[in-house]
Amino acid sequence: MRIEINEIAKKYKSNVVLEDISLTVESGKIYCLLGASGSGKTTLLRTIMGAISADKGTVTIDGVKMPNKQMLAKIGFMPQEDALYSELSIFQNMKFFAGIQNLKKEIIMKRADELLQVVGLLNEKDKLVGHCSGGMRKRASLATTMIHNPKILILDEPTVGIDPVLRRKIWAYLHSLRDNGITILVTTHAMDEVTECDNAALLRNGKIITADTVLNLLKKTESGKIEDLFFIDEKEESICFQS
Amino acid sequence: MFSIIKRILAQIINDKRSLGILFVAPILIFTMLYFILGDSGYVPKITVYNVNDSVRTGLEKSADVEVTDAMPELKEYVETWGKDAIIWSDQEGMHIYMLDKSTKTSKVLKAVQDMNSSNIHINYEYETNDDNQLDSLSFVFLGVISFFFVFILSGMSFVRERTNQTLERMLMAPIRRSTVIGGYTLGYGILSAIQSVVIFLFSVYVLKLHVEGSYILCTLIMIILAFAAVSVGALMSIFANNELQLVQFIPIVLIPQIFFSGLIPLDTIPYGIGNLCYVTPIYYGCTALQKVVIFGDGIDVIYPWILGLIGMIGVLFILNTFLLKKYRRL
Repeated sequence: MRIEINEIAKKYKSNVVLEDISLTVESGKIYCLLGASGSGKTTLLRTIMGAISADKGTVTIDGVKMPNKQMLAKIGFMPQEDALYSELSIFQNMKFFAGIQNLKKEIIMKRADELLQVVGLLNEKDKLVGHCSGGMRKRASLATTMIHNPKILILDEPTVGIDPVLRRKIWAYLHSLRDNGITILVTTHAMDEVTECDNAALLRNGKIITADTVLNLLKKTESGKIEDLFFIDEKEESICFQS
Repeated sequence: MFSIIKRILAQIINDKRSLGILFVAPILIFTMLYFILGDSGYVPKITVYNVNDSVRTGLEKSADVEVTDAMPELKEYVETWGKDAIIWSDQEGMHIYMLDKSTKTSKVLKAVQDMNSSNIHINYEYETNDDNQLDSLSFVFLGVISFFFVFILSGMSFVRERTNQTLERMLMAPIRRSTVIGGYTLGYGILSAIQSVVIFLFSVYVLKLHVEGSYILCTLIMIILAFAAVSVGALMSIFANNELQLVQFIPIVLIPQIFFSGLIPLDTIPYGIGNLCYVTPIYYGCTALQKVVIFGDGIDVIYPWILGLIGMIGVLFILNTFLLKKYRRL
């Protein structure tokens, strides 16, 4: 499924949070929004989902204008917080969020076991979320996001607090989902994770500095490090300012 | 909606603290009120000077009486000897000196009243002489205490739904906003209903609260009031960014409602301020409770207040569903 964002702008009073953002996430690709905290990544995701209304611009998924209830059913959204009930077990959380997606009990059981295996929590599924470590909660949150087998995954900082071994495993799983045609839009501020994605947009102060395939973006840098692109842009801004 | 109800019940069952707030805390408060407002059997200490024997023996029926031969220095004597009152008579009549108005001095006045019991006959239409202050105000406490705890619990839970972003995750599913509010109201409503039954049974069978009318009707009113408390909690939580801010709403949302619970007669409140009662759920709930608990009225009398309460729940439901648009435009 293809996500198209056209000239999205949002400001709170005089504070511009998003400025004419346009980008396209092609079907079956992993698209990364990269930027520091406060750069507008989360606001952009929430605007796509319809949690925030944009001042101008549109978001369409496969040509359907968002927000749209039928489309929401096809999206798996993982917020930045764990977004789980600490008084419920990991499995109870998954069951609840699957329940509001109207999934059948037997499907829930099968999917939950599959996903918990991927995130390494199968043996901990009956543990209360309130008793889990930060990393475990993040993994449980990721598994919950995918319970209804969404066609689009929108993940806000999905790998924060997860150890490198498991992080690699999660990325491998996301790659397999992509290979099966799932579209994934992910935010991160970890520069090394960009190489796991097909495309990336670099955001600063609510503006896209640059957006391209990851391979092309890396070619633009001398060192092969994506963070250099932020500095290149800063230098250009500084030159413009001086002239 | 069923998923939300099941989830809320599972959450509370796993959370011992919330269970305590729902069931143990109201019972503890009621027990304390029973001891504070109930008949403690206190015998007032009175000193008499220059009164005739009939007054002295009359007072001795319900007070510890001491006779003095000289008129004492009033304040100094009462404070030094721990007396509740000094009673004396002169050509102007009988005088009673007490330090302040308190439950102890009210016992003095009761003793004075009992002194002339053969001449004065006091009858209450709706209460018996055995009823204590807790019996007289039970309709206020039954309504307010259960409302308070349900408001806090449901409001806090809703604020936590937002700060933990579980609400956002929930609203990103193709679920209707009215389903979320309905599930929430019913989930906490069921818990509140159980709470109402527990509080009522405890008050009547353990604390021996005097209830003139139908027990079932009383419980029903408390349950409907609890549903209103869930809705008010959810409404206030939309305006609170965190738990602390919700607590800050208590003086604004709860305390004024207590004034309209029947504690103060509404027609004595000046400038028509008493009319504000019509926008407070506690007014409808406590008035209906008063009519059943004290006056022994049935559904044929209290139905306007029940309808008022149900109407308020309906309005709050629509308002909460609309305000949820803040978190999802659909």
